[in-house]
Amino acid sequence: MSLRIAGMGWVTPLGSGVDEIWNRLRNGETAIAETISNPLGGGYPVFRVPPSATAGAPTHPRLRRSSAISRFAVVAGLEALANAGVKLDPEIANRTALILAVSNGGVIYTKRFYHEIVESGAQAASPLLFPETVFNAPASHLAAILGLTGVSYTLVGDGAVGMLALKMAEDLMDSDTFDYCLVVGAEEADWLLCDAYRKWRLLRSTAPIEPFQEPPRGMILSEGAGAILLGRSGRVQIERIAGGTNFHQQKEADEALDKVFSELCQPPPDLVAASANGTFIDQAEKGAIGKHSPNATVYAVKGALGESVGASSLWQTILAAQALTRQQLPGFPEPAALHSAVVSACGLNQQIAGLRLRI
Amino acid sequence: MSDFSSSSHGPNGFRVAVVAAGIVSPLGLGLEETLRSLRVGKDSVAPVEAFAVDRCRCQTAGQVPDAALAEASQYHRHPGRLHRVARMMILALKEAMAQTDDFEPELTVMGTTSGGMTFGEQYYRGLKEKQPSSRSAPTLIANYPPQKPVMDAQEAFGIGAPCQIIANACASGTNAIGHAFNCVRSGRYQRILTGGYDAISELVFVGFDSLQASTPERCRPFDSERSGMVLGEGAAVLALENLETAKKRGASILAEIIGYGISTDNFHLTQPDPSGNGARRAMEGALRSAGISPAEIDYINAHGTATPFNDAAEGKAIAELFNGVPVSSTKGMMGHSLGAAGAIEAIICILALRHQLLPPNINFRRGDSGLDLNIIANQSATGRVRTVLSNSFGFGGTNASVILRSIAA
Repeated sequence: MSLRIAGMGWVTPLGSGVDEIWNRLRNGETAIAETISNPLGGGYPVFRVPPSATAGAPTHPRLRRSSAISRFAVVAGLEALANAGVKLDPEIANRTALILAVSNGGVIYTKRFYHEIVESGAQAASPLLFPETVFNAPASHLAAILGLTGVSYTLVGDGAVGMLALKMAEDLMDSDTFDYCLVVGAEEADWLLCDAYRKWRLLRSTAPIEPFQEPPRGMILSEGAGAILLGRSGRVQIERIAGGTNFHQQKEADEALDKVFSELCQPPPDLVAASANGTFIDQAEKGAIGKHSPNATVYAVKGALGESVGASSLWQTILAAQALTRQQLPGFPEPAALHSAVVSACGLNQQIAGLRLRI
Repeated sequence: MSDFSSSSHGPNGFRVAVVAAGIVSPLGLGLEETLRSLRVGKDSVAPVEAFAVDRCRCQTAGQVPDAALAEASQYHRHPGRLHRVARMMILALKEAMAQTDDFEPELTVMGTTSGGMTFGEQYYRGLKEKQPSSRSAPTLIANYPPQKPVMDAQEAFGIGAPCQIIANACASGTNAIGHAFNCVRSGRYQRILTGGYDAISELVFVGFDSLQASTPERCRPFDSERSGMVLGEGAAVLALENLETAKKRGASILAEIIGYGISTDNFHLTQPDPSGNGARRAMEGALRSAGISPAEIDYINAHGTATPFNDAAEGKAIAELFNGVPVSSTKGMMGHSLGAAGAIEAIICILALRHQLLPPNINFRRGDSGLDLNIIANQSATGRVRTVLSNSFGFGGTNASVILRSIAA
């Protein structure tokens, strides 16, 4: 089976659209942090998606009351289909699966709903908010807008969940039941998440994120979506997906990453699209890269776009696919000879996976 | 309608065995206690104790007593950090692993709706009422993510398989089993752990109450005077294996999974398509995947939440597809355990197959005149049970059905 990237869609704090974001990255732009206030006091730096990035979302009834995460997912998903030139008539829709990867999900509505319970009591909780708190609400909206009537899965996990979703898609695409699988990773940012990651000692107080710096000073949360339409034709091939493993303590991440890299780096790739985000991940990843592909060019996109958790490994994969297609990398003015890339997905909460691309 | 029946590996693919199972639910801990509860039609729904419900319409749920979960502590190196649902997962996994030697899963596929939500609730209440201490906050945060109970359970028993956690609302457990089934059937995997888990949480409890989906009365699936669901909780684990491989290594085989169907009906975020079309397509897909006719189904464990909308749509679809097949919803006995429900009910189906048991649909008084169903009313029965179908439907318009068969059939 040849699994290929047929189309991609991207919604980030640098805007929306794969080409637009790619050009901005190539021009050396990075997302600008804004301060999100904690109503209980203080604030946190965060990378937000500008309203203009989702202005092109369809005027569909499903999006009337939806949370930001659903809008991000829809805009990215529609772009991936358009990018591939795929129109979902009922027959093709029937042969297209949807997998949505999230980590924190619709946290804004979840917080609002629970806030009503805490502040005013259960009788005051709004029935309009609760349905949007379920993890699969964005997938439901996207399926309804696209007219998908078959397989739709929402996967939850940490920053590696997008990679796990791609692995699940590979398993689905092994059957000739499907022509396409649309994999979307999405996340929305909120002060509550920032507060939690701060108390978890993973968030830094000021921008920028500095991948691979010692000592690690922490990451900054981001939001948006990445969408990859998997099919059987397309320039970029997914050679292998390492379904990954788990680590139970941070110090075990080295061993888990070593296992994933040993599976993906034969032969060593030209490019490693790293998941480094300014936390303990970085040193573990640096060790695995040094051991398994010491001559590869390494690029960590989270330095420019932030840590979008559920969307992050889709963003890394889009970055790597763009680099292979364009033979370019942000920060490198000269064309690069890039024929293969490994995307490493090390989450903050025990999950690790990766994949290998070639062109 | 999508299924794997036309897989490149042939219409039937590899046969898939359930070689072990473990269960924790309000009906009891373990297969034996669950079987006893099913036989007597135990009503385990009781007043909610974990949080205040005095401002809710519904004030009851099926709950697993904390004391019953204490044993889980001895299997984990950090017992103080374990969420209740992680304890349920540990005990369910322990029971399953005790039934089969040398079962090393290549993949874990589990279903949940909210994972460790109560840790998130504690964190938020702590913020509002008093800042969580610097010591407790990281523990609450690190254990809140929905995948964490599976990580904890796997760590307890030295399992390192990657975890795919499906959160497809109330269909999650059946989706997890169905996807795992397809992965083994395709030949891509030999052994997969699957199942589902969820614990009662205030946010979810109030959520269903706010929608008036839960009832202040008894939960009466398919009754003409049904007025809504009650919530439940629990965890269930199934070990799936390529049947031939399992036989070669001498594994005992509880049942065979033979079909899986899934549909998305896009009707509404919280309401099923009233035509029953989504439910029907899931069941038809499962039958097609299994390569059997509706007449071969001996028992249907219905989703049967007892909400007016669900039971009407599901009942209509069942009545259209099946001719008088015995049907029950076991949610009247233990409540709706959301992401765990499909996995718990799959194990109930296995018990039905192994003991020729038709589990009861309790609290049933009078059938809905609009539904032509053969309800197993109030008392369990015995009968010929060789092939069973289990339904799960959820928010988001996601519908899933799985078919299991006795290995002797």
